[in-house]
Amino acid sequence: MIEVNEIQKKFGRKKVLKGVSFTAEKGEITCVIGINGVGKTTILNAIMNLTPLNGGQILVNGETINKHSYEKITFIPDAIIMQPSMTIAEAMEFMADFYDSWNQERATELLDFFKLQESEKINHLSKGNRAKVNLLLGLALDVDYLLMDEPFSGIDIFSREQIADVFTSHLVEDRGVLITTHEINDIEHLIDKAVLLDNGKVLKQFDSEEVRETEGKSIVDVMREVYQP
Amino acid sequence: MNRFVKLLNFELSRFMKIYLVLIALTIIVQVVGVIVTANSYMAEANKMIYEEGLSQAQFIQQYRSMSFLRFARSLWFMGPIAVCAAALLFYIFMIWYRDWFGKNTFIYRLLMLPTARINVYLAKAASIVLMVLGLVSVQLIILPLENSVLKWLVPIDFRSDMTVEQVVGWDYLSILIPQTFTEFILYYGAGFMAVSVLFTAILFERSFKWKGILLGIGFVAISGVIMLSPLLATVFMDHYYLYPLETLGLEVVLGLLVTAVSLWMGHYLLTKKITV
Amino acid sequence: MNVNFNKRDPVYVQVIRHFKEQIATGVFEPGQEIPSRRELANRLKINPNTAQRAYKEMEEAGLITTERNLPSKITRDEHVLKSVRKELIMEAVDDFVRSVQSINVPVDEVLELVQEKYKDKRDDKGAKYD
Repeated sequence: MIEVNEIQKKFGRKKVLKGVSFTAEKGEITCVIGINGVGKTTILNAIMNLTPLNGGQILVNGETINKHSYEKITFIPDAIIMQPSMTIAEAMEFMADFYDSWNQERATELLDFFKLQESEKINHLSKGNRAKVNLLLGLALDVDYLLMDEPFSGIDIFSREQIADVFTSHLVEDRGVLITTHEINDIEHLIDKAVLLDNGKVLKQFDSEEVRETEGKSIVDVMREVYQP
Repeated sequence: MNRFVKLLNFELSRFMKIYLVLIALTIIVQVVGVIVTANSYMAEANKMIYEEGLSQAQFIQQYRSMSFLRFARSLWFMGPIAVCAAALLFYIFMIWYRDWFGKNTFIYRLLMLPTARINVYLAKAASIVLMVLGLVSVQLIILPLENSVLKWLVPIDFRSDMTVEQVVGWDYLSILIPQTFTEFILYYGAGFMAVSVLFTAILFERSFKWKGILLGIGFVAISGVIMLSPLLATVFMDHYYLYPLETLGLEVVLGLLVTAVSLWMGHYLLTKKITV
Repeated sequence: MNVNFNKRDPVYVQVIRHFKEQIATGVFEPGQEIPSRRELANRLKINPNTAQRAYKEMEEAGLITTERNLPSKITRDEHVLKSVRKELIMEAVDDFVRSVQSINVPVDEVLELVQEKYKDKRDDKGAKYD
């Protein structure tokens, strides 16, 4: 379980996170939704210890993050995080070199799944394909938790469909997935839990099937209530 | 350790193209330089002797004989060394900033490697030191070659020959190319210290942005003052109580201290304060 | 398999309904193997946990059966199959009656119209194959 506990973050004098708490479970897809502003990416950065916090605590499987955690939890930001001059094969080799949790078999399968050519250079790829390589490099690690920042934004519709397919496939298996988005429409049926964030606070956290069952509301309905009371 | 070696290898390989260009530049410019310097000296000699009617002895008296130092003092020789030094100095900064800038921020990957983050720091520092060493080695290899070219182009009567040992003992080259193992350790140890102080200053900036620049400059300044303190002591006190060897010992201790603090601070910033 | 889910009913309920329709119309035959949970989630583009939930509910209702590690199958239980068909018919009839009643149409007139419509539809279908 990823436990985010009352975390606070300031950029200069601006408070971006004002005591944010939520949890993300293994085997579930949790989605941090925020229709505007900053904060979503900062939460993911903070979970990975890529930015210091001004308060609060984050635990992954009961531990604060350390060097061993990166074999168990990985982050796929919205821009590719490899040297652009590398070919896809070189990028995969780099990952295989450094991570014990790299799963070459799954990497090969993902190449196939995304219809990518190993020999292509990253900086020659289209935006959609770059997003896929980024996803591939994260998904091919045998980790418990996957963090993805806006995996569906800024790419063409077909790439988007392919990426959505990943979520329902064995490629994600029983891992815990934490994604951020500002656009829920395409993925309403994909997610287990929604965390509604606004102005540095969690306004509501709920189970999407439960809300449909007990209140007959869609996620967008709940968002409408919460964001436009 | 294993991942440190992999990181070092990676850091070296990502600068390799430019590095090889620097080496090629040094070799080509210096070898061309020897040829040009030697030929122009001989052209001058020929002109003086055959057109102006000077004797060989008169010419040498007037123009001095051709020695390797005449070339070593020219831009042909010092230019490439200066370019390489400037490039590596610049790269001390770029080796960090390149990971933050651009659309593909590689620092995410580096900080998320399953290894202590100080290894990223040490790999970058080691790669800088190794690249300096590499350039110096290249220089050491091409010196005899250049010396031979000179001998080949200038008749023996016009030359005052120098051995390679004499050449490297001369002036600034003696710092680049230490004569003894102790000197080697001292010079390159000092180099590593300087790199670590700069790296930590860079990490201050990366961690605290504007405020970090001041902290970084402050850190460099304090390190400088500490290293110069024996010298400053002489300036402010009339008496100087230490023998040269004792001063050296003190400098070594201070250098180790500054390096240790830099590394510890770098480790602290990378694990607790850094931001992507 | 392409289903348009609405966003306000629980997805697992919609999945079960989809299965019932397939069973009632004979697309799924008794004893037929059905996709794994993972496959179903992938084909319907829904959350795997939701597919899992739907299968669990259908198993409890006796619509599908799973023997150890073998793929799940549509039940052969005539009783269950009949009740599924009946349930769907009753639901449709209820809806129909409710809307017809709301505009006060006598039952005879309705039945006549229903028969006519049925005949038209069958003719339409026949015509297409001529």
